[in-house]
Amino acid sequence: MNSNPSPLNSSRFEGCTLTGALSVLTEVQDAVCVIHGPAGCTHHNFSLLHATHLANDRLEVPRLLSSCLRENDIIFGGEDALEETIARALSLSPASVFVLSTCIVETIGDDVAAVCAKSRDVPVIPVPTAGFLGGVFETGVRNALSAVASLARPMGGQKTLSANLIGEKNLEYGVDENAAEIVRLLSRLGIGVNLRFVRGLGTRDIDRLGSAAVNILREPALWPVGDDLKQRLGTPYVDSFPAGLTGTCRFLEEVGRVCGIDATDAIGEEKAHQAEMLAAFDDIAGSRVCFRSPHPMFRGDPGAEAMCMGCADALDLVIDPDGTAIPLPYPVPVGTAGIRRMLNRWRVLVREKQRE
Amino acid sequence: MKQIALYGKGGIGKSTTAANLSAALAGEGLDILQIGCDPKHDSTRMLMHGTWIPTVLDLIRERGDENITVADVVYEGFCGVRCVEAGGPEPGIGCAGRGIIATFQLLERLDALKGDVIVYDVLGDVVCGGFAMPMREGYAQEIYLVTSGELMSIYAANNIAKAIARLSRRVRSRCTLGGVICNAKNIEGEREFVEEFARRINSRRIAYIPRSRIVQVAELQKQTVIEYAPESDQAAAYQELARTVYGNETTSIPTPLDMDELESFALEFVQV
Repeated sequence: MNSNPSPLNSSRFEGCTLTGALSVLTEVQDAVCVIHGPAGCTHHNFSLLHATHLANDRLEVPRLLSSCLRENDIIFGGEDALEETIARALSLSPASVFVLSTCIVETIGDDVAAVCAKSRDVPVIPVPTAGFLGGVFETGVRNALSAVASLARPMGGQKTLSANLIGEKNLEYGVDENAAEIVRLLSRLGIGVNLRFVRGLGTRDIDRLGSAAVNILREPALWPVGDDLKQRLGTPYVDSFPAGLTGTCRFLEEVGRVCGIDATDAIGEEKAHQAEMLAAFDDIAGSRVCFRSPHPMFRGDPGAEAMCMGCADALDLVIDPDGTAIPLPYPVPVGTAGIRRMLNRWRVLVREKQRE
Repeated sequence: MKQIALYGKGGIGKSTTAANLSAALAGEGLDILQIGCDPKHDSTRMLMHGTWIPTVLDLIRERGDENITVADVVYEGFCGVRCVEAGGPEPGIGCAGRGIIATFQLLERLDALKGDVIVYDVLGDVVCGGFAMPMREGYAQEIYLVTSGELMSIYAANNIAKAIARLSRRVRSRCTLGGVICNAKNIEGEREFVEEFARRINSRRIAYIPRSRIVQVAELQKQTVIEYAPESDQAAAYQELARTVYGNETTSIPTPLDMDELESFALEFVQV
């Protein structure tokens, strides 16, 4: 998946449905995740999550339990093993338990939802995550977000002038910087963040998911989750984190529109901020550049090229096939701060080329 | 060692045919192993005089597969026929197909698959890869389709022919179709219908077992016909089947019919 070891490529968008779901559910910090399947499904994901956490300076250990199915469980049915593993999870006194399925248990037809439905003191929530059904990482993310949302207090609560960040990519490098950029932009409109859904939450926090005035989806692919939350909790949504210079201003406008706030002043301030940021890159103005795919094995983000052309325009860069080769960013940087970080890399490449 | 498997629609009389076939072969002085590959585990019951023998999968479930011996899974029945039942999970849970695979692996490890003839009696339809296990390399080389002249039974037989054709394409496969056994339901034109079906799938009808009340009577006595009424015409039919199967050296790769062919073929005969 990532043959380029750069930390920028440590995001993980394709892959197993189960991994996608766990990237969300392990952020409910007082929950335990039960993975109903062979031990390897858990071990593999444990390693991946733990390694990614360590790379982001987080020392906590993902709270995963496996039902450790063996051949006999497959032949005779794995529901008893699941029951025992849920009991083991409950003995750790979690505030909630998420039960994730795997390919083999969906194949033999174990009824995970029925086992979870038994009455218990804490919520035990099934999350369908069998990868062979055609889903990818994103499918797991979506299923997990909807599963966690089932813990929110139903519609009717008072909305406050605040926003939820929905479906942050917890495994991507820079997830917290991206969130900080959204916080900065929202503060221009006087809007605070209600919940990062789901990052660093407790089960009880989820209760107030419905009190935000707007949900901000990490990316448009999460629209089914946006629709689901709108239906459940009556919260409208903005379908993506902002990308590009004008995209960032459009984001402010859209959030303002959804929340009934006039964004004119905020946009003016942000444009001035962008001009100031761009001025710091005067030294590479007029340079010759060309954009190329981030990696030969890799399909780039479709929006990346347009976003980069916008930035090249603003810096008076000249597009020339013999110019400095600049890889298209993947993922597309978030907001003005993301562009600043991207331009810092461009500068390094342009200077390297000049030295040649 | 000859290894054969009987396949056919559920309720068509596979187990009755298999048990009588095994009994008749044993009557010829041959060493026979019959393996029931159906979670209902009733294949060998008449050979065992009504006793339900412990199934391989029950034993695996109770003891794990480390502590099982040949004596735990192989039971001697009528005329020395050795009987094994694979068994399966409780209805409605787990994976019976994987159970068949596990059973075969255990029998291999115990070196239990031996004798002059091994008869595999397999669940009605080849619903998944597990139930095609007896057709795989190293097991049955000859498959016999058991069918009556009822369309649903022919339809099932045609489906099984598809599985045989598929598996026989594999490089090291030795699985072929030995023939079609007509287990009669007393339908008019049945013998010809089955005979023509066999011909059209590139095989032949190798036996005709007439419908007889004596089969039910013997079953009520928990015996095969061979044991209960050895002098009867019905016993003679099974004995003839046994001789034909044992001496059969003509097998084929079947050419199953597609649905349209099968239906128009059936119409030709039903209208007669």
